[in-house]
Amino acid sequence: MSARLEAEHVTRTLPAPDNATLVRDASLCVGAGEFVAIQGPSGCGKSSLLYLLGLLDRPTTGIVRIDGVDTSQLSEDARTRLRLERIGFVFQFHFLLPELTALENIELPMRRLAVLSREAIAARARGLLDALGLRHEADKRPDRMSGGERQRIAVARALANDPSIILSDEPTGNLDSANTRLVVEEFRRLAHEQGRAVACVTHDAEVAAAADRRIRMLDGRIITDKG
Amino acid sequence: MSGLRVLVAIALAHLRVRTRQTLVAALGVTIGVGIFLATSGMMIGSQSDFVRTLVNSAPHIIVKDEHRGASPQPLRAAFPSAAIAIRGVRPRDEVRGLKDWPGMLADARALPGAIAAPSLSGAISLGFAGRTEPAALNGVDPQIEGRLVDIEETLTGGQLSDLEQRPDGIIITRPMADRLGANLGDTLVVSSPAGVLQRMRILALIRPDALTGFYAGDNTAYGLLRTAQVLFARPNVVNQIHIKVGDPQAAEALAGRLEERWGYKWESWQERSRDILGLLVARTIITYAIISAVLLVATFGVYTGVSNSVNDKRRDIAILRAMGFTRPDVQGIFLMEGMVVGVVGAIGGFAVGSALIGALAAAPISINGQVTHLPIDRSLTQYGIAGGVCIVAALVAAWLPARKAAQVDPVDILRGAA
Repeated sequence: MSARLEAEHVTRTLPAPDNATLVRDASLCVGAGEFVAIQGPSGCGKSSLLYLLGLLDRPTTGIVRIDGVDTSQLSEDARTRLRLERIGFVFQFHFLLPELTALENIELPMRRLAVLSREAIAARARGLLDALGLRHEADKRPDRMSGGERQRIAVARALANDPSIILSDEPTGNLDSANTRLVVEEFRRLAHEQGRAVACVTHDAEVAAAADRRIRMLDGRIITDKG
Repeated sequence: MSGLRVLVAIALAHLRVRTRQTLVAALGVTIGVGIFLATSGMMIGSQSDFVRTLVNSAPHIIVKDEHRGASPQPLRAAFPSAAIAIRGVRPRDEVRGLKDWPGMLADARALPGAIAAPSLSGAISLGFAGRTEPAALNGVDPQIEGRLVDIEETLTGGQLSDLEQRPDGIIITRPMADRLGANLGDTLVVSSPAGVLQRMRILALIRPDALTGFYAGDNTAYGLLRTAQVLFARPNVVNQIHIKVGDPQAAEALAGRLEERWGYKWESWQERSRDILGLLVARTIITYAIISAVLLVATFGVYTGVSNSVNDKRRDIAILRAMGFTRPDVQGIFLMEGMVVGVVGAIGGFAVGSALIGALAAAPISINGQVTHLPIDRSLTQYGIAGGVCIVAALVAAWLPARKAAQVDPVDILRGAA
């Protein structure tokens, strides 16, 4: 299994005056078709590690590789471009743009990438909605949808540019058990059927149980990594 | 920037959901642009009217029998590197008048779109019923002089061309006639420094006219050129050539060129009005500075609107950055918000400004008992300047909050939201 996402001795220390170390010497690897859960108590550095893996933050030391590319030497613009093309994010809060419809929200990353034609973008966005059973929500704004629907729209948006990596931070934190199951199933499908690398920060035992591997963190360190 | 359309779409979506704030900000710009157009229309209109009057009330170029400096001594020209001391120089007793004026006249008439006429001017004294007043007589060719300056509109009781029918005719100003106690048709006794006395009949009166602007002063008088030559005892002599050129703005350059060739003083209307034109430039700068400041204040609404938008949309900014939008993308979104408000405000301002200009132009005003209207500049240039200043001001106003938006660290926002 080829590695999609790698962290090698990654440490993140906040600059003065905080000087707090959020992540300490963390190394991990998520391969194509793998669904990995990252667990640990609040404040242990799970989300900070996810932001480092997603190129939203830069490690103080260590290397993050995306599809084999060492990102430590890349410019801000190159990292942003890599994020746009290769990484999809799903957060606890859906973070859909409230002014846009579901379809328009899903189209956003594709329109920014500006590779497909307008028609192709719309067709792909509708295809993603269909795949997630949300066809009827296409023209609704987020405030007219349920929490589960919003989160699945956020998943669809994360998939818009067909990324090889999906990073998720407590995606089921605001969902009931039925919607949690739907999202977990979707993550498994993305990994196992579509060959994407999925890393998911979670407190939810059901999500962790569904993952192929469970990484546990404590005080910024990875303490266990079990299959 | 690739994906520009998506930035525009997001900016428009932001503005749509904050319709009231957007409209209030745009309204401020609209009022600013409207005031800008009305004020600049009036100021520039009155200025253009004044300059037009300056241009048309006298010949564009007057050639005078004067030199700007003393003629160089022939001795110095002959021995340019020699040390020469000349003492007791006495000016040659020259007869005043333009030498070879037919050649100068031909050159003047060869200028693009030009008409030119010779003239002889000099001091006279006018006598009537025991009263005497000094005056400056312009001996002219009436056919051509009437086309050179806007004198006809200010004449009452006759026309300039009447001088051709009556070589003993004279045209004086109404104030001069009043001072002499004379009226149209009366005969004046005219005497010149040459000692010639001649009886001349008043054929028309020049009325001081604030509207046409032509008025050379109370002491101005017009007569036929050959009558003036007789009166001044200078047959076939002219001491001025009056020229009107096709492009008045080119007068100064043309005058300079011909002065170099002929030596005499070729005085353009710009040279004669240098002080006034300088004042007008200062006035224009002050006008634009003040009305631009009004517009700048009007765009504070844009700053407030965009600033509020940035504060409201911090989470959206974070997710856009996480999605792969760059800092310039985010900055672009909010700059576009400011620009859209500026453009909408400017379009509204054009409508308001046009309405104000229309109302001002239609309002009758009375000058010296004559009803007229304000001269208003309705040129597209004013709209261009107002629109340009407005959009630049809106962009400047939006730039600060947009820059703040681009500096938002998505990690801080996402961590706070988690």
